[in-house]
Amino acid sequence: MASTTTELRVIYGDGTLGLAGEHFQYIFSYERGGLESLKQFGKEWLYRTPKPAFWRATTDNDRGNHFSETSAMWLGADLFSPCRSVAVAVNGQPITLPIAPENNRYSDNETAQTVTVTYTYATATVPATMVTVAYTVDGTGTIAVTTHYTGQPGLPELPAFGLRLIAPTVATEFTYQGLSGETYPDRMAGGRPGTYQVTGLPVTPYMVPQENGMHMATHWVKITRETTLNNADPDRDPFQLTVRQHGDQPFAFSCLPYTAAELENATHIEELPLARRTVLTLFGAVRGVGGIDSWGADVEDAYHVSAETDHDFTVEIAGPTA
Amino acid sequence: MQAELKWLDDPQTFRVNQLPAHSDHHYYATDADAKSGDNQLEQSLDGTWQFAFAATPQDRPQGFYRPDFDRSGFDTIQVPGHIELAGYGQLHYTNTLYPWEGKQYRRPAYTLGDQTGMPGMFSQGADNTVGAYVRTFTLAPGLRHHTVTVQFDGVEEAMYLWLNGHFVGYAEDSFTRSEFDLTPYLQDGENLIAVEVFKRSTAAFLEDQDFFRFSGIFRSVRLLAQPAIHLADLTVRANVTPDLQTGDLNLRLRLQSLQATTGAQAQVTLADAAGQTILTQTVGAKGDLRLSHLPVPQVHLWAHHTPYLYRLTIRLLDAQGTVVEVVPVAVGFRRVELKDKVMLLNGKRLILNGVNRHEWDARSGRVISLADMQADIAIFKDHHINAVRTCHYPDQDAWYDLCDQNGIYMMAENNLETHGTWQKMGAVEPSDNVPGSLPQWREVVLDRARSNYETFKNHPAILFWSLGNESYAGDNLAAMNQFYKEHDDTRLTHYEGVCRNRVYQDRISDMESMMYDPPMAIRDYLEHDPQKPFINCEYMHDMGNSLGGMNSYTDLLDEFPMYQGGFIWDYIDQALWVTDEVTGKPVLRYGGDFDDRHSDYEFSGDGLLFADRTPKPALQEVSHYYGKYDD
Repeated sequence: MASTTTELRVIYGDGTLGLAGEHFQYIFSYERGGLESLKQFGKEWLYRTPKPAFWRATTDNDRGNHFSETSAMWLGADLFSPCRSVAVAVNGQPITLPIAPENNRYSDNETAQTVTVTYTYATATVPATMVTVAYTVDGTGTIAVTTHYTGQPGLPELPAFGLRLIAPTVATEFTYQGLSGETYPDRMAGGRPGTYQVTGLPVTPYMVPQENGMHMATHWVKITRETTLNNADPDRDPFQLTVRQHGDQPFAFSCLPYTAAELENATHIEELPLARRTVLTLFGAVRGVGGIDSWGADVEDAYHVSAETDHDFTVEIAGPTA
Repeated sequence: MQAELKWLDDPQTFRVNQLPAHSDHHYYATDADAKSGDNQLEQSLDGTWQFAFAATPQDRPQGFYRPDFDRSGFDTIQVPGHIELAGYGQLHYTNTLYPWEGKQYRRPAYTLGDQTGMPGMFSQGADNTVGAYVRTFTLAPGLRHHTVTVQFDGVEEAMYLWLNGHFVGYAEDSFTRSEFDLTPYLQDGENLIAVEVFKRSTAAFLEDQDFFRFSGIFRSVRLLAQPAIHLADLTVRANVTPDLQTGDLNLRLRLQSLQATTGAQAQVTLADAAGQTILTQTVGAKGDLRLSHLPVPQVHLWAHHTPYLYRLTIRLLDAQGTVVEVVPVAVGFRRVELKDKVMLLNGKRLILNGVNRHEWDARSGRVISLADMQADIAIFKDHHINAVRTCHYPDQDAWYDLCDQNGIYMMAENNLETHGTWQKMGAVEPSDNVPGSLPQWREVVLDRARSNYETFKNHPAILFWSLGNESYAGDNLAAMNQFYKEHDDTRLTHYEGVCRNRVYQDRISDMESMMYDPPMAIRDYLEHDPQKPFINCEYMHDMGNSLGGMNSYTDLLDEFPMYQGGFIWDYIDQALWVTDEVTGKPVLRYGGDFDDRHSDYEFSGDGLLFADRTPKPALQEVSHYYGKYDD
């Protein structure tokens, strides 16, 4: 029986791998160490290539127990971890990295069932360890994102481990199925399961800006924007991108107008820059917020994130017609 | 003849019915016009045109050039201007990787053994946007009853032209003037001129410069009437005897005449800067005239600090003795030599305190004004910049005049860069390089060399012809070099790319030219039996906050006569004024800020000036070091 699966169009470029299909076009860069373009229905979702996230903005309790000081190298890793290698697999089979002259043998009419692009990052820590982010794309444009952190003895505890995607313009709202309110591993019992719509990209107005907006145990999140940076696209109709759990494993996320580093720098909410982008961070591991006291007590043992053990998570970026 | 879309796919079709390139001299009907510059033979077509945009060739309004076509749905657009800055088409900045990277798979026609010519690659390109331009004009009185041509100073990147529904011609080469004879199709009263501009053609492979990728009619358009006797082309050779005392003026006049030339005369006068006549000659005005070895005693030499210009005037008179055409030309006498492997100007070692200069205005992109150019000259003069490389294409005519007048040494570069066909992922990988040695890509690049030469050959400011930028080296680059050698023994040739393919080093470039060579590597070259004088065609990459350690380069000037300076990369940041969507205030945006992918983001910000022409702090350092060698 002939396969009815939609084929993925593959563009074997000189510095990138392009994948396209109905209503989507993705560009994976070999030089910039990540997914450079994620376009659905002609709308760009990425401002810069997604990178592994290791930092969260210091909470008051983190300050009290000096966690940020002992784990400070993860702030550097969050900002500066380089991509060390890229690998490509087509229909599950690894291929020689299709850069020139290897890609001369392809044509303008190449297709595949699935393509996986795997980026390996070295953490900017001492000692260093490796993180891989593998994107598997199928003909519907669905992207399974599998992230792996390799445990390394001697590294201080992780504030968080995730993948940060930055969209070019600020979202108008997001909707998710998960727990109500702002939740953390050690503060999620009060979260009521349900589907929640959040208007704007609210930053919880803690006196000193800090980690906020986490949503644990999420099944899916759909982000809505109305604007792009494309000078030739005056359209203001809302458009969406959905991230959902892979299999039966929920995920954590935050959707804010700021990166962890931007939050870290502010001592008052008014010091934060004007909101202009959407920072969606998908987390596989999140440190608790603690609360025994704010002048020294650590987060309870169960809510630490060890950097000495492996961490894995997979999420799906839904294709355009999902 | 009918226009064919397949020309977009064929590197062997790049000019159809275009008039041959010729010198950029201005011509006037009378002495009074020549003096005032108010030219009754010229009619500008700049301004508002009707316009329709199409996302692909297949979506374009076919037949829009016909007088009876319904254009009621057309918008308007300003000429000159970029289509993208008028709100049609996405702004896009990319450096080496071609703009279709990750979206279309393309290899240049006839590379990698291709025999098909890749039909449809651009004529059916899903990324090939189209601009349909149309306007009417009625000939001004001074143009009526003459041969009338139309000049397009710059159209990116392929254009078809119609007049009153008749196909006139086709042109590529975005940065070079294209000229067509409209006379056969002109009518009394209103005329309808139509231009169809394609963003991509095979020329795209040759125009892979590190810049925003625009399209449209981005330089001026004008009609020009030719008098009955007309100077079609002029070659001025203002040489100097070896003792530097006497000018040796040689002229070649190619005349075109619609009437019997019996009794017609060409009156040639050379005056000095004070207006004093130095010599005058009158000869019969017909055909191809040569005036050789006219001596100019005690000649004033043209150089950076003394850009002395003589005024040559050519008057064409008909049999009745009536002046029908007046051509004023600025002439500078100077002597460029390569002696003992050192480049000399007027017998003196040449030191290039240079910059690479893209044409840029943060409001209008590569549509720049005379005021922009004058501001640039002022910056040059204030900061001891004595040389400019027209990276990586010919500039507007006025810039060459300004360099003549202000003593700025020019490296006049062809519109050629094929970086993306040979350097991939940081490695030299020329398997699909063009133009290479492919016969199908030879004529198109030779045409670019010819156009550059023929247009600008009379400018004293030009000391060097540059074959192009970062296009590797093969037989076709060697043929370009040979073209210049065959046509011009008063200047030197330059090309850096031969250092990537040393097989051609005896056939390409009079100088050893490198980009971003560290000072130690240059020293190493100079200490090991160098065969050619050394220049940096690009150095001191002034991206963001940069330009440290410049003395390590300038110190070499003191030590090695064969080290002759170079051109800083580069003169001005390329960024665009945009209204910020959050604050409503004007902000400067760069690559990637328009959702354009693949982009090279901030890599376009390498200037000594910010994009709004305010100097960066580093300019005082340039001023200091260039000032040390400004004599």
